[in-house]
Amino acid sequence: MYGMVNKSVQALVTTKFGIDKWEEIKQKAGVTIEAFISNESYPDAMTYGLIGAATEVLKLSADEILFAFGEFWVLNTARQDYGDLLSSAGRNMPEFLDYLPMFHTRVALIFPHLKPPRFECSDRQADRITMHYFSHRPGLSVFVRGLFSGIAKMYDTPAQITQTKFKDKGDDHDEFLVCWGDAIQKSG
Amino acid sequence: MTDSAPMLDHGQFSKLFPFHFIVDADMRVIDTGSVLARVCPKIVPGALINDHFLLFRLASEPIKAFNRDFIARQENTLFVFKSTSTDLMLRCQVLILRDPERYLFLGSPWVRNPTELKALHLVLQDFALHDSTVDLLQLVQATSTSLHDAKQLSEKLEQRVADRTAELSMANAELSRVMRSKDDFLSAMSHELRTPLNAILGLSESLAEGVYGDMNTKQVKSINTIAESGHHLLALINDLLDIAKIGAGKMELELTKANVEDLCQASLRFVMEQAQKQKINLKLVMDNQSVMLTADERRLKQILVNLLSNAVKFTPNGGSVTLETKCDLESESLMFSVRDTGIGIATEDLKRLFSPFTQLDSKLSRQYAGTGLGLTLVMKLVELHGGSVAVESEIGKGSCFTVRIPCKGLDTLNQHNPSGTISLTEITPAETLPSNTPLILVADDNEINLMTVTDYLRANKLRVIQARDGLEAVKMVREHIPSLVLMDIQMPLMDGLDAIAHLRADDKHTDMPIIALTSRAMVGDRERCIAVGANDYLSKPVNMKQLVKTIRAHLPNDETL
Repeated sequence: MYGMVNKSVQALVTTKFGIDKWEEIKQKAGVTIEAFISNESYPDAMTYGLIGAATEVLKLSADEILFAFGEFWVLNTARQDYGDLLSSAGRNMPEFLDYLPMFHTRVALIFPHLKPPRFECSDRQADRITMHYFSHRPGLSVFVRGLFSGIAKMYDTPAQITQTKFKDKGDDHDEFLVCWGDAIQKSG
Repeated sequence: MTDSAPMLDHGQFSKLFPFHFIVDADMRVIDTGSVLARVCPKIVPGALINDHFLLFRLASEPIKAFNRDFIARQENTLFVFKSTSTDLMLRCQVLILRDPERYLFLGSPWVRNPTELKALHLVLQDFALHDSTVDLLQLVQATSTSLHDAKQLSEKLEQRVADRTAELSMANAELSRVMRSKDDFLSAMSHELRTPLNAILGLSESLAEGVYGDMNTKQVKSINTIAESGHHLLALINDLLDIAKIGAGKMELELTKANVEDLCQASLRFVMEQAQKQKINLKLVMDNQSVMLTADERRLKQILVNLLSNAVKFTPNGGSVTLETKCDLESESLMFSVRDTGIGIATEDLKRLFSPFTQLDSKLSRQYAGTGLGLTLVMKLVELHGGSVAVESEIGKGSCFTVRIPCKGLDTLNQHNPSGTISLTEITPAETLPSNTPLILVADDNEINLMTVTDYLRANKLRVIQARDGLEAVKMVREHIPSLVLMDIQMPLMDGLDAIAHLRADDKHTDMPIIALTSRAMVGDRERCIAVGANDYLSKPVNMKQLVKTIRAHLPNDETL
């Protein structure tokens, strides 16, 4: 997994809960690395271990942590690590979501060893879009939902994110319907 | 274009080249790509391109008035245009089209980091998918992030190193403070422990000699135990202080030329009494009896006495202990070997031998008293001399400790002097000081007192000869005619009072200064000593400085200290 992911978990915990909790989580997960390098590859087990330890230390559910982590990823870590490139990925939320597959394709081109996930878009409408998430890594759909929520917050666009397909329930991938504007009222 | 080349409509062409523009032969705009039209809205059909773009050439000023002839000459060159109204720079390739004559510029913005992208109000979607500019930007951003991460990590590590260094500095400062405290403590201990111990030893001696009246057997046994324990404690304190001094680098050797035979004899004398008690045969074997060695005589004697005491202590009754010296001219060193026929040491125990407070078998520590510091001190003192200690041993057969002391220019005063074994009865004290140095006879039956006083006087540049009873004292005075006599009163065979009387009865010795030394601190003692002929009287435990001062007062003026 991307070092940026672990870095984000670290930043989230230290920002919201303090450095001592992070050290406790690291110790519990058996992680001795002092600082993560964003574009380096780390074992997936390390990230899962950190998240697992965080649920124990912070006494939060895995879903709560993963969702918060997704939002934090966009609003803090990605903003910091991608800088202006992130805001240049779209002038508004729909443009950004539309560009997300291309963004990941480019990451895969530059860092093939990182094995980033793949996104696809479909059913683009004025107030909704369907996002498809393909990853060999299990259990991260709540994190992706948090990502979309973070993107909506980044563009100050109230949005409703609904997971419509579940890989862990037998679908071939995870699918999300992202609605904004009038679509929220319609679906709500 | 060939016939097989695809024909693209304007929308398709603009999607592939969103930043393109076409000008006619007069450099007037015919068409622009969709994104360029958005970013530079004034570049419209009919506009003069020279009004909106400067042409950049490396190592020269921007060209404003470029025309068709100039462009035609540079067809295979990369064109870099700079907008006159924004920060946009375009890198383009030109294609010259015919019928009608037109110039097609294909390219994309020249941006080196995402911040420039933002300043130009461009988004990633503005670039054609085949344009690698975005990949380049993403790569630049990733590299920059990695560098930032590495810098942060480096700062973290630097901080950690700084913290550790600060901690170490503090620890060092604390250590220095503790070391100073330790030195102060040792110095205080030296004084504070020795003072009461002197009183304990002095009073024990007085009690044992019946100064305060007769004692029954049990009391005598008890007072002897007190005295033995006191001497043991004193030895322990002295050893500890010496080790601490060496450890603190505060022990400095007083190097002088020493006569090795004298040194060996003096060391052997120290263990003679105990050896006699155990019927142990003491031998001195020298390959050259006149060899001189540059060393700290007092410390070297301390080394030999320690080894000899151990040898005697661990050798059963009837055994033998040999002190052997050997000159190694090749390595310019002198070897002192102390060989015994004692209990021996197991091979696996040899390496622990020189550690402090080590007695290899706890049963032995009960059987054979010792400070447990002797060999540690030996090792440290030998190392201080630049030498080494080796040991060979076999259980049940005995041990041999060999001390090697380097001695540059090993000086043999008499190369013809025969080597051989010297019987202890032949051992006589000799002095290395000039013959005009005052010679003091110290008469005392207590080996420790004898050695302490001897060492102190020698350290004060006095020659010393020793006697262990009154008879020997009288004999030695007649043989050596010393400058002064220090006479203990309580001695076997002939006590000090009788010895003084004998000497004064001889006309040759009526003027010889005699100082009586006694633990009889009773009223009338002084008068009794003076009455038999002593010139002065000092009570034990004697203050060494006071002793030297008294000696100085009684020596003739031409005999200087």
